[in-house]
Amino acid sequence: MGCCDVKNDPKISNKKGLKIVALAGNPNVGKTTIFNALTGLRQHVGNWPGVTVEKKEGIMKYKGREFLVVDLPGTYSLTAHSIDELIARNFILDGNADVVVDIADSSCLMRNLFLTMEILEMGVKNVVIALNKIDLAKKKGVKFDIRKMEKVLGVPVIPTNAKSGEGLDELKKAIVAMIDGKITTNPVIPVYEEPIEREIEHISKLLTGTVLIERYNLRWLAIKLLERDEEVIKLVLNHLGHGKMDEILQHISELEQYYKRSLDIVIANQKYEFIDNLIHQFVIHQGEFKETLNDQVDRILTHPVYGFLSLAAVFYALFKFVFTFGTPMQEHLDALFSNLGEAIAPYIANEMVRGLVVDGIIGGVGAVLSFFPLVFLLFIGMAILEDTGYMARAAVVMERVMRKFGLPGKSFIPMVLAFGCNVPAVMATRALDDERDRIITMLINPLVPCSARMVVITFLAGAFFQEHKALIAVGIYMISILLALLSALLIGKFIIKGEESPFVIELPDYLIPSWKTVIIHSWERSKEFLRKAGTVILFGAILIWYLSNYPVPVGSGLSYAEKLGKALEPFSMLMGLDWKAAVSLIFGIIAKENVIATYGILYGVEEGEQALAILMRNAMTPLQAFTLALVTTLYLPCIATIGAIRAEGGNKWALVAVVYNLALASIIGILVYHLGFFLL
Amino acid sequence: MAKLDNLLELIRSGITNPKELAEKLGVSYEEVEGMIKILESMGYVEEIKFGENACNKCPLKSICPGSCIMFKGKIYQLKKKDFALKR
Ligand SMILES: Nc1nc2c(ncn2[C@@H]2O[C@H](COP(=O)(O)OP(=O)(O)O)[C@@H](O)[C@H]2O)c(=O)[nH]1
Repeated sequence: MGCCDVKNDPKISNKKGLKIVALAGNPNVGKTTIFNALTGLRQHVGNWPGVTVEKKEGIMKYKGREFLVVDLPGTYSLTAHSIDELIARNFILDGNADVVVDIADSSCLMRNLFLTMEILEMGVKNVVIALNKIDLAKKKGVKFDIRKMEKVLGVPVIPTNAKSGEGLDELKKAIVAMIDGKITTNPVIPVYEEPIEREIEHISKLLTGTVLIERYNLRWLAIKLLERDEEVIKLVLNHLGHGKMDEILQHISELEQYYKRSLDIVIANQKYEFIDNLIHQFVIHQGEFKETLNDQVDRILTHPVYGFLSLAAVFYALFKFVFTFGTPMQEHLDALFSNLGEAIAPYIANEMVRGLVVDGIIGGVGAVLSFFPLVFLLFIGMAILEDTGYMARAAVVMERVMRKFGLPGKSFIPMVLAFGCNVPAVMATRALDDERDRIITMLINPLVPCSARMVVITFLAGAFFQEHKALIAVGIYMISILLALLSALLIGKFIIKGEESPFVIELPDYLIPSWKTVIIHSWERSKEFLRKAGTVILFGAILIWYLSNYPVPVGSGLSYAEKLGKALEPFSMLMGLDWKAAVSLIFGIIAKENVIATYGILYGVEEGEQALAILMRNAMTPLQAFTLALVTTLYLPCIATIGAIRAEGGNKWALVAVVYNLALASIIGILVYHLGFFLL
Repeated sequence: MAKLDNLLELIRSGITNPKELAEKLGVSYEEVEGMIKILESMGYVEEIKFGENACNKCPLKSICPGSCIMFKGKIYQLKKKDFALKR
């Protein structure tokens, strides 16, 4: 067909002039399996000319004869919307194939027959249907009257199980018989409502006088014109000229007015209905729509109320899991680092270097590194939730909540990503089509506690609330998320409302996750945490160590860190936080874990995180610790996140994010501290 | 009984749960899935890809400030093409 950019020239690899068998079908129907079975190892993989779509060809042998089998891209229809569809469609349309094998998945026949009808509608006669995955259909309680099916569809139907090889010999036999002209077919083609049929006839008549009739099925051309298929419009225009084409377009417009919509969807609807009617003639026993266990579980997990409660329970379980298994590991690591500090110290003669290594690097970075098990377990938990398919259900539940707060439901996804790191989450907002939605999601994203803030939250929760640490940690997460949602409401008031395009969330079947992939994924992700400890946090620790030891060591009131902290203390004291907290928060902007690292250095802790916890317990009340955890979570996005917001939204929104977060953290910090003071 | 149309209409009304869509249309969940695929290939819905490569493309990758979580579920949204008449 000369109508498109995609050119097919199978002759290149068909020097022997073999007869050609094309395999068509939906994606995932077992096309590759059948292709491999038909051709064995006699395959050649290349690209379709001019595009980077894989083209597979192979030689099928049958009774000493050879045939060229071409694997067409898997598609759901043959419109001109994607390159895959164009390749498949043009290959068939150009009459390249001596036989088209339409592979259909018998376990979900409707969508498969939709493609079948598109193929038959092109006027192709030499079609064999391979009714594949017949084993799966059987399992579902679906049976087929094959004879009836052949009669209704007008082409041979061969049931196959490509996995076991069942039916493949019959398939080969049918292919060869068809090539030899021993099978005559009478393909069924969809019939449409009267107004459409009338127009098809009208257009066909206009086309009859052109050379198109020699190469194409006119009915198919007419249908494609009604659908306003751009490729076909171009083709016909070349042969018909503007005058007649305008007449046709005029008719199409009138018909569109009549149906009040584009004709492609009208035609698709009627085709679908046509198939629905056909199927009932040969599907003997449609498996009852019995509610599966899967459906029942979904009913609960996606329920507006129970689903939400389940989500909260899952969240709590996640933290319980992280703490229960992570804390012992963390203690070991902690002991390791403090022993390391003690062991190394005597070997470093220079006092300054010793201070830097033991207090600065081991004390600061070590305190953060000992949280590695917790971070790793959090990622394991998230990976399990993802792999089981639960996340999609959580998305359905949260999507409703989001919308109540004026957020697009889709922004749930960036929010989930934010639990790992805010930076990719901010970048993911790009997928939201509305400007307003994008900005709001971007601005509230930093309020979702990322894995770095988890370190601070778990440290403070563990140090001050041993009994209820999981509850306190979940509490801080919940408060942050609630604040994110309320912020969305608030920010939404100041930004012009746009429209969200409606969407559906696919619910994959529940799967038992493979431990291997869960662990590999979690490790990949946690590695970033380690890398960060070796770069950003190390840099931060050295800087903090320097500032707190020069010109005079901390405690004198004269070190740079103290001076900085004391300058900010009047303000931070409004939240009950002293100068040490103020300094920690400043360094936390580089990376949030630095809040802990800074405390470690300011207290001159050499024995790791446990010792730090004891020192802090003596200096702070639980209320102050809670306030600090909350303020650390809310106060400012880290530098990287600010950078991401700037890259995605520009300077203005980066500034808004900084100011908004600072203001919010201050208000909440002051409020929580004072309220807590009165209540406790 | 224009099933594809009805499905689009229901999605447009704000139902995002495909099992709920299946119930409303009186078909199996599988069939809804199939209809979505057909609508996708016709250009009526499109899959949204949320930062699939956000982590790899991240400008801060070399000093990565954290860890990447990816959402694996598929989400399809209605395209602007919609039901509107083309002129
Ligand atoms: N149960 C069953 N599975 C099959 C059958 N044919 C293929 N499969 C499986 O279906 C999946 C997709 O097959 P593949 O050949 O890659 O499909 P393609 O995307 O159409 O090329 C694979 O996991 C196959 O093992 C069959 O007849 N029965």
